[in-house]
Amino acid sequence: MAEKDTTVKTDVKTEEKDTKVESAKKADTKPKAKNDIMGDGSDDGDLILENERVSINLTPENATFKRSGGDLISLDIINDKGEPESFERVVILRSFPVTNPNEFLSVREPDSKKQGRGKEIGMIRYMSTFDEATQALFKEELDRRYFTPEIKKINSVKDKFGYLYWDVVTTAGNVTFVLNNPFSNIRILEDGRILINDIDGNVFEILEPQKLDSASLKKIEIYL
Amino acid sequence: MRLMFDLPETEKRVFDAAVTPAEKLMYCMPFNIIEDRFVSGFIAVTNEKIYKILDDKLLAVYNLAGATGFKTEVMYGSCGFYANFGEGTTLICQFVSGRHLPRYAVLVKACEILAEDQSKTEPITNSERERFCPKCGRPFVRGTNICPYCLDHIEVYKKIFAMTKGLRLMMCFPFIVALFTVIFQFVVPQIQKLALNNYILNDAAHGQASEMAKFTMIVLAIISLDLFQRAMSVLQSRLAAISGNKFTLMMRTLLYEKIQSLSLSSIQRKSTGDLMGRINGDVNVAQDFIVNQLPNLFVQLASFIAGLVVMLIISPLMALFVFVPIPFVVFLISKFWAFVQMRNRRLWVLGQRTNHLLQDILNGIRVVKCFGREKSEIERFKDASVHHADQNESNAKIFDTIFPLLGFAIRLGSYLILWYGNMSLFNGTMSVGTLHQINSYANIIYAPLMYITFIPRNISNFLTSLSKVFEILEENPEVQDINLPLDIRIEGEVNVKNVTFGYESYNPVLENVSFHVNPGEMIGIVGHSGSGKTTLINLLMRLYDVNEGAIEIDGVNIKDISQNALRTQIGIVLQETFLFSGTIRDNIRYAMPHATDEQVIAAARIANAHDFILNLPEGYNTMVGEKGYSLSGGERQRIAIARAVIHNPRIMILDEATAALDTETEKLIQDSLNKLTDNRTVFAIAHRLSTLRNADKLLVLDKGRVAEFGTHAELLENKGIYYKLVMAQRKMAQSVIENQGIS
Repeated sequence: MAEKDTTVKTDVKTEEKDTKVESAKKADTKPKAKNDIMGDGSDDGDLILENERVSINLTPENATFKRSGGDLISLDIINDKGEPESFERVVILRSFPVTNPNEFLSVREPDSKKQGRGKEIGMIRYMSTFDEATQALFKEELDRRYFTPEIKKINSVKDKFGYLYWDVVTTAGNVTFVLNNPFSNIRILEDGRILINDIDGNVFEILEPQKLDSASLKKIEIYL
Repeated sequence: MRLMFDLPETEKRVFDAAVTPAEKLMYCMPFNIIEDRFVSGFIAVTNEKIYKILDDKLLAVYNLAGATGFKTEVMYGSCGFYANFGEGTTLICQFVSGRHLPRYAVLVKACEILAEDQSKTEPITNSERERFCPKCGRPFVRGTNICPYCLDHIEVYKKIFAMTKGLRLMMCFPFIVALFTVIFQFVVPQIQKLALNNYILNDAAHGQASEMAKFTMIVLAIISLDLFQRAMSVLQSRLAAISGNKFTLMMRTLLYEKIQSLSLSSIQRKSTGDLMGRINGDVNVAQDFIVNQLPNLFVQLASFIAGLVVMLIISPLMALFVFVPIPFVVFLISKFWAFVQMRNRRLWVLGQRTNHLLQDILNGIRVVKCFGREKSEIERFKDASVHHADQNESNAKIFDTIFPLLGFAIRLGSYLILWYGNMSLFNGTMSVGTLHQINSYANIIYAPLMYITFIPRNISNFLTSLSKVFEILEENPEVQDINLPLDIRIEGEVNVKNVTFGYESYNPVLENVSFHVNPGEMIGIVGHSGSGKTTLINLLMRLYDVNEGAIEIDGVNIKDISQNALRTQIGIVLQETFLFSGTIRDNIRYAMPHATDEQVIAAARIANAHDFILNLPEGYNTMVGEKGYSLSGGERQRIAIARAVIHNPRIMILDEATAALDTETEKLIQDSLNKLTDNRTVFAIAHRLSTLRNADKLLVLDKGRVAEFGTHAELLENKGIYYKLVMAQRKMAQSVIENQGIS
């Protein structure tokens, strides 16, 4: 994982590189990591010949998203064969969480232990094609799934034994977190944003580092 | 792993108010996120309900009875705990992934049990290691149990002291020399003072032969003292080199022996890089500290303190002059070093980035060429190099300015002394000799300051490295021989009884697996990747111990057989054939180093390797491995087979042994395998079902369970998973043939 991070970072650093490639790479590595953590090790690629679902383009015409009974998202679609189909719950994933968060949203069945990795039901090209209520529903799910508090102020950063102990004020409240290997876990994106991955798997961002107060900026300057 | 956290008082009150007396609290763990806020809430699970508590509020209560679909979902930056309580899947809580995911994975299992039967009030326990310090909650150093914050320093010192047994006398010597150096430092200015006051500046003494002789004596004394001290330091360096080497050698050997004796499970938890780091890096850090840093530290501290004391005795006022700037100087030095370090680090990072880029591009040079991206890659590299060069230049400029300035600041005290001393000199209250002496002492006091600011960092690095070393040394192998293990002669009957196993105990890879194999039978193991085939093999080899159930060979539990006896009678051929650097002969003899050449050839013949080996320029003496002759995949595989059969094992395991090969080579190897399966119990894993043609029985694994077990014909009749697989592969083979026909 660490190695992959570094690669991604090198890419970010160089201006020539297409940003989409970078995020695609990230998207690539994600399900793998997920699989590892879940430990279900299911890789159903090789020998299964069950009915493959065909991913369709989801628009307000063929798809209706609703708040589900469990306060999540349910979906009714007209599938590629023209038949209506319902999903009690769907998961929405961003194809480019870093560079293009509101387009190319992948709508999928949730993973399950029995069936393994959830399959893609369809793709939302632009989130804005759906009405506001639906967009709010998407946003709620996406905010939850891509929980990335923004760091507003840095109280302290202490370097001990190669581990960085941070104490920061974020949009989600005050937090302390620990970071190792700051040079691969602090990524500077091309638009100047900073993404920080801590040791617990939290992700924090700094939207405009230059706008941090000078005391905060000074504490992280060394890692930029 | 902790599954029962204590509820804080407020939360406890909320819980007590809500819970009914019939319920029993079984699990309690924290959750961290609600909507867009970090919080500190708790999930309390009784045998009937799940309570979600935040501060003084009961956010939700869920009934376990009849609930389904418990699971954790890993999201970006957090995880969710989901279940369906009848109204559709719902998010019970959201938590920080790294910290609590394993815990919630257990809770999922626990809830599944409780949802079916609320009378099971015996909580699941779990022996998984916590990755966080129980005392302070900070994460352990990766892959270890060490919390740098809570490290017991005295404990580490004790252990290191115990380890220096036999080297202690030698290790004391540097300290003796150090002590001598300190004394010398103070004696020389004293003699110099004598020389200055009594001879150089004493007009009366000038021109008198007897005085000249005495002066010469003084000079000689200074010279001999200097010589003596240098001789001592030469001796010290030599002894330090010897004792340091001995210490490193001992530590390294101990570590290596320990790593070899540890079970696969504990080794695989650590990366190769990490283990190599411990054997090389950490041992070096420890050696450097003990042999070089510690005596030096001793000298510096001793001369600093002694200097202050002597100064106080000679002239308290002067001592004050020396002392006053010290806090300022220390502050300046530490600030300065922080700055230098930051800049150096940045330079290092840029250097790394350039290196990484270079490595990346050189490795992918074919891709670069094929896509015609040379120009942009040149730009990319140039950019990185320019960055690096710029940083280097600016660092050099700044350091070259700051270093002299810092030197000036450190000398501030000396200037004060010079000024005040000269004043006293003019007043006649002080002699030139004394002034010189005091000035020398001031220098002695200031010199260690630079060093002293490094001490805390050095010590903490040393302690962390040491505890990483000790952690391995003190680890107990998880797979251990029993007292008086049996050295049985294996016939080859294998009985697997209700085996359940998972690499993490909360996540079983094999569940309740049972089957029986007669001696000499060939068993084909079939299943999707991830169904537990290789895990089953690992258990048969006893690289791991089963969590539940037992594996018996010839009616004896393999836990009772010595690991050595077990493994020398099982031969294994893996998909990745790893050949060590050395000759083919060495590699074939690996499991049996004293095998005769005759045996080597016999083994190679069984493996169908003899012919191709003889076609190599140096026959069996051809070097292979990283620096040697490069063999094809099939050739390597056949050598690996020869290696596995040389000691004529009773049980053979073929783990995807032919998966990476083309059909032609497979045919060759298949023939060799047929030869060696005679009269042996064989377990063969294969994706290509044709490889298993000769199998007596087939074991089909599905999601960690035995789905089917029987002969080829029986399974085809069943029309289960095996039937589907066979049909699928036939179809594929047919379509390949058809396609080839068209082209």
